[in-house]
Amino acid sequence: MKFTLVINGAPWSSPSARTALKFAETALSSGHEIYRLFFYQDGTGNASGYCVAPQDEEDIPARWEALITKHDIDAVVCAASAHKRGILDYAESERYERDGANLRPGFTVSGLGQFIDAATQSDRVVSFVT
Amino acid sequence: MSAPQSYLILARSSPYGSNMPKAALDIALTAAAFEQEVAVVFLDDGVLQLLPNQDTESSGLKNGSKMISALKVYEVQHVYIHLPSAEKSELDLSKVPDEIEAITDELLQDLVSKSDHVMVF
Repeated sequence: MKFTLVINGAPWSSPSARTALKFAETALSSGHEIYRLFFYQDGTGNASGYCVAPQDEEDIPARWEALITKHDIDAVVCAASAHKRGILDYAESERYERDGANLRPGFTVSGLGQFIDAATQSDRVVSFVT
Repeated sequence: MSAPQSYLILARSSPYGSNMPKAALDIALTAAAFEQEVAVVFLDDGVLQLLPNQDTESSGLKNGSKMISALKVYEVQHVYIHLPSAEKSELDLSKVPDEIEAITDELLQDLVSKSDHVMVF
């Protein structure tokens, strides 16, 4: 089955991100396909390269990055949600004249249209609400 | 893009307690802009988003009610208020904008089962 996951929760404040990550790992290892990961609202925090997890806690953003890179998954971060939470790629960092860019490798910034496209193309959309 | 799909947006959060109301409207408007079939239902605390005469000027918050009244203009086909929720909040239906239709539990169940995508905000 072809899945799209919508991740609405930040890795540091809700179980939503971790549940979505486990779902994605399990779906892929069970032979399913992931059409797109769509990070929305606080879920855009999963794409931050500036998060540092305590040594005795799971590094959820790093695990996303590993999964996305390994399976070459399309991982889209909602632009409006990301910008207001301080998650920027290099181009946007320059455009808005900020001191650094923190979008993790593997993620792309785009709009809600990518979600509608994903919903149209996938067999199932699974939302992980906060 | 392939044939249009149906989206049911359930707006169940109070108007100024989180950014969920805005997230709901953004999804509804985007889906409508991509020519999908969209219905929005205000239920639970979400019916408070329909309160008349919301004044956000002193708080500096963005007034969401203007965007709600524009939903139909932007091709969102149906905008509903869930009747049992309205009753629970003692919301005067005569003060809710005319274009907002009332929906019962039975009709809502039907809508949920018929929609391709149901999203809760």
